[in-house]
Amino acid sequence: MSGMSGMSGMSGTSGTSGTSGGAWHVAADDLRAYARGELAPPLLWSADTHLVTCARCRAVLAETGDPVALDEGWERLDAELDAPRPGFMESALTRFGVPDHTARLLAATPVLRLSWLVAVVAVLLTTVAATLSVRGSGTPTLFLALAPLLPVAGVALSYGPVLDPTFEMAVVSPMHGFRLLMVRTLAVLGAVLGLNGLASLALPGYGLLAAAWLLPALALTALALALTPRLGPVLAPALVAGAWVGLLLAAVRQASGETPAPFTAPGQGVAAAVAVLATLLLHGVRDRFDVGRFPGRRGA
Amino acid sequence: MIPTVSASGLRLAHGGVRALDDVSLRLGEGVTGLLGPNGAGKTTLLRVLATALPPDRGALTVLGHDPSGPAGRQEVRRALGYLPQTPGFHPDFTSFAFVDHVAILKEMTDRAARHREVRRVLDAVDLRDVRGTRIRRLSGGMRQRVALAAALVGDPGFLVLDEPTVGLDPEQRMRFRELIATAGEGRTVLLSTHQTEDVAVLCNRVVVMAAGRVRFEGTPAELTARAAGRVWSSAERDPGARACWRTGTGAFRNVGDPPGGAELVEPTLEDGYLLTLDAPAVVETTS
Repeated sequence: MSGMSGMSGMSGTSGTSGTSGGAWHVAADDLRAYARGELAPPLLWSADTHLVTCARCRAVLAETGDPVALDEGWERLDAELDAPRPGFMESALTRFGVPDHTARLLAATPVLRLSWLVAVVAVLLTTVAATLSVRGSGTPTLFLALAPLLPVAGVALSYGPVLDPTFEMAVVSPMHGFRLLMVRTLAVLGAVLGLNGLASLALPGYGLLAAAWLLPALALTALALALTPRLGPVLAPALVAGAWVGLLLAAVRQASGETPAPFTAPGQGVAAAVAVLATLLLHGVRDRFDVGRFPGRRGA
Repeated sequence: MIPTVSASGLRLAHGGVRALDDVSLRLGEGVTGLLGPNGAGKTTLLRVLATALPPDRGALTVLGHDPSGPAGRQEVRRALGYLPQTPGFHPDFTSFAFVDHVAILKEMTDRAARHREVRRVLDAVDLRDVRGTRIRRLSGGMRQRVALAAALVGDPGFLVLDEPTVGLDPEQRMRFRELIATAGEGRTVLLSTHQTEDVAVLCNRVVVMAAGRVRFEGTPAELTARAAGRVWSSAERDPGARACWRTGTGAFRNVGDPPGGAELVEPTLEDGYLLTLDAPAVVETTS
């Protein structure tokens, strides 16, 4: 339930609630929709929350609906009282129009815990500080090298038998494994790319070059996922990350003080091409995510 | 028995070891026990039947659907409840939130209907008082019941339970048995267990596996009957016995081919199981 804060979403400006003596009440139209079972979240949650404590609205509701629909309403309300209170992210996603069940799946993404996000922020802060301390360089190489690895690590930690505690239950569920993977990948990308973007803003002196991590990040993430059915959920991202580090070391040595090739315009083009090709490959192997058998994992 | 689940010639190898070696079986309505020693292939078989692992070879039909293709697999999963050997949880989730999450994975997108179902299954496993409690605060037995509730979401026609009573104390085990017995009414349940007592109390059919093969398939009474005339009591350990152990009275219970003049005793399911494994074993313990 969205809690009493949800009542602000029902304010008079939206025409969905009214006031009496300074207290908010659910609008008559919403009560009628509630009784018919047609009131949608988040207004539904706000109504649920409010009805628990407001005798007046309960009385209006009792006069509004037909007895069968009303019984269903009370049953639903009873169920809502046990329902978990959505966290900040889940509530925010729902307010942006994401269906509540998808928001719940996103919120259950294993790495989207505060501890992991704090670790990502700490790594980015350290990297940005180190980059700013070396002002002589024309390229924030350390930051650009590290930033694409964070989403790869996040996605790797979000799916698979090793790190997802509910993997075995999820893999035998009717929800397509690829869909779950995509939901979690988007959650991780949304969080990590956002943090990377904020870190880029802390490096204004480098202009657009500070955002040259984005295409490599998408390419590495897509490539790691596409290789997972063949190499496994641990080896695939580890190899991709290792290849990226090796490529960068070679590029830095060759650049001799100039911008390393992966962050130049041609390098970005290659990254974009790899991202597209890896995405196509990933789509081609999507059914392989539907079974719980990856290389490197015994069946029992 | 009208088979609801049938497997024929299932084979699966892991790293050169045949975890399943030409396994064929048929399951019907009610609770079927799956017995076998460690490494017998029980968990692998359960994972194959639950569509978590595809077999290398063999045919499988679950409730009329063939899970070898994506469409059939989807249909099987819609009719499946699965409790893995070590169910994983998001420890910060409450019981309600966890089962709700599983219900979403089972394609229940309507929030009100889903929450009604979550309440129903939590009530069914007698966890209504801890619906709002975080899983990390629950005892092992309660966590197992949360996992069973998750398996029961959507009223599945085929329930696969992998050693659900392991690690439970005797009282919790008894309560869990009651839940499984109730769950077995009107659906097919496959219960993997080390405890012959579970099978004796709960199951109308039993399958014994060893070394990736099915060694026995029948009723518990038929398994027990295998040991008729092959269990005897003696004051000293009988070296000719396939298995022997010291009972609470101090006498030895021997299983195998009895010597002439042996004091035969009534066989149990455990005796039949030990003889079916056909592996020489000497166990000294009290029972």
